[in-house]
Amino acid sequence: MTRVLSATALVATFALIGTPPPQAARAGSIRGRVDLHRVAPAFERRPGSSDVGPPLLDRDLPDRMKSVVYLESAPRGAFDQPDPARAVMDQRNETFVPHVLAITAGTTVDFPNSDRIYHNVFSLSKTKSFDLGRYAVGRSKAIRFDRPGIVRVFCDIHSHMNAFILVFSHPFYAMTDTEGRYRIDDVPPGAYSVVAWNEGLASDPKPVTVADGATTELDFSLR
Amino acid sequence: MKLLGRLARFAIQLAAAGLLSSSGSAYAQDLPVRPLTWAGGRVTLGGDASLTFSCSDAPTPGTCGEDTGFFNYSDYELSTLRMLRIDMKAAVRPSAHLALVGEVRSENGEGVHAYALYVGLRPWQDKAFEIEAGRVPPTFGAFAQRTYANDNILIGYPLSYQYLTSIRPDAVPANADELLAMRGRGWLAHYSLGNTTPDRGTPIDSAFRWDTGVAVRSKTSWAEVTASVTTGTLGNPLVADDNAGKQLSGRVAFHPVPGLIVGASGARGPFLTRDAARSAGMTSTNDSVQSALGADVEYSRDYYLLRVEAIRSDWTLPTINVPLTSLGITAEGRYRFTPRLYAAARYDHMGFSTIAGTTRVTSWDAPVTRAEAGGGYLVTRNLQLKSSVQLNQRDGGRVTHLMLWAAQAVFWF
Repeated sequence: MTRVLSATALVATFALIGTPPPQAARAGSIRGRVDLHRVAPAFERRPGSSDVGPPLLDRDLPDRMKSVVYLESAPRGAFDQPDPARAVMDQRNETFVPHVLAITAGTTVDFPNSDRIYHNVFSLSKTKSFDLGRYAVGRSKAIRFDRPGIVRVFCDIHSHMNAFILVFSHPFYAMTDTEGRYRIDDVPPGAYSVVAWNEGLASDPKPVTVADGATTELDFSLR
Repeated sequence: MKLLGRLARFAIQLAAAGLLSSSGSAYAQDLPVRPLTWAGGRVTLGGDASLTFSCSDAPTPGTCGEDTGFFNYSDYELSTLRMLRIDMKAAVRPSAHLALVGEVRSENGEGVHAYALYVGLRPWQDKAFEIEAGRVPPTFGAFAQRTYANDNILIGYPLSYQYLTSIRPDAVPANADELLAMRGRGWLAHYSLGNTTPDRGTPIDSAFRWDTGVAVRSKTSWAEVTASVTTGTLGNPLVADDNAGKQLSGRVAFHPVPGLIVGASGARGPFLTRDAARSAGMTSTNDSVQSALGADVEYSRDYYLLRVEAIRSDWTLPTINVPLTSLGITAEGRYRFTPRLYAAARYDHMGFSTIAGTTRVTSWDAPVTRAEAGGGYLVTRNLQLKSSVQLNQRDGGRVTHLMLWAAQAVFWF
């Protein structure tokens, strides 16, 4: 049973449900696999002229096979992240690269244009609404994401271009590889709820207990 | 009541579109947010629905007047500012070299019409060179390349692509006086030769129908070239030939730097029907042609977009001894204030050459000027609301000045 991940679920990570670790406790890890029954299709071009050619569905396929696994409830002290981070979402071959970006709140994302044509990155998401305007190859614009939540990113000129930015209030998340494997390290011992997310769909939270210095296995099944 | 019925049908069709989306979207309960795909992307279905309503400065205060000057009509009965239009467009790509593209359109719920149906062939997979055959996309002009309602920054159309001149392909004025009597009457013109039933004239370049024939398209990173041979003409695209003449049309567009597009177009083809030509004493329709030249420039950067397009069209008629020239000029711009909100404006003028009648020397049709300003608001990425005010001024006809307020909702996937 899956459910749609809402921004409120990510905001809920502010609730400090995790069990506080003892002072001498060693951090553990959560690892496992997210089994995708079906890979979400890429956005196709709107039918029109210049339609001849291969479908776009193979475009960024490896990226769409990647999921994000994160702690729904974060350990105490997880929000002490003073260092501002930086990430990049490129625009290349009329595709956002990567297709999914997971960051912590406060991260600034650069959007360089690597195509010879204009792009116009924008989002109407409640988490972060922005419009970078049209700019040419070699130029880049940046946006800082301060609120946790999901940001859908589009190009105003090319309707088939889309991407996700997942903004977390803590660092306990991981992207899977193309085979679905993930690993979240440095998790203080305690009891948590863990969620797997792929292309707008999230699993039900799964309870997990991380023991002192141990690695806990947790698998998910989506779609 | 008639409008309510149409709205009800619209709602049903939108609901149907929403149900269809379940096959292609993860959110079955939502309207689709992107083209629906099947068979690994080899079948794509896109849709476009727009509901437009307008009121003119009616003589009776407090009432919503119609476009009594027929400034925005695409024919005698259809106003582009009071219209419910639903488009469904599908592409089937059995291989990387072949595509079948079709579009059906319903306007005001009155039947479903095929707007486009063509086969596309790409001989070389690694080259952007295509051959299209059937009812093909336009190869002339810049505005004609923007096929979707949300591509139009305002609600009205540029005059060159919509305003009906008094030229008819199936009827011929017996002399200059007959033509001059129809100044400003393109929405319902009538002449004594050919088809004598009153009917609409043609625009310079119709945005409402696609022509039938063969087209080729090629593009590089800095230029695009399109050319076609079709049965109709710019102002009167056809499915079935009515004069055994072919129109040659083409466009070259250069992209010297990102954001700048400079285009030039040309077209030439016989436009009179066989019957009309015969009634005017012609043995061949090849001497009665519409020839047109177009030039367009677009520049965009950051949050603004500017476009200018000019089209000159010449029609030759057997009963008028000089070419009938029309020149349409459009300038439009858009500025986006926020991710959701933008403002836009367009200035349009359409002028006509002068001919001599028995008692007067004047332009063969009434010059028209239109200014439109408004804006758009994105409710969601694929649901847009637009509003505009439009001022029309014409040097002839029954109504010479008209102001219209219009609102439009556009949904696409």
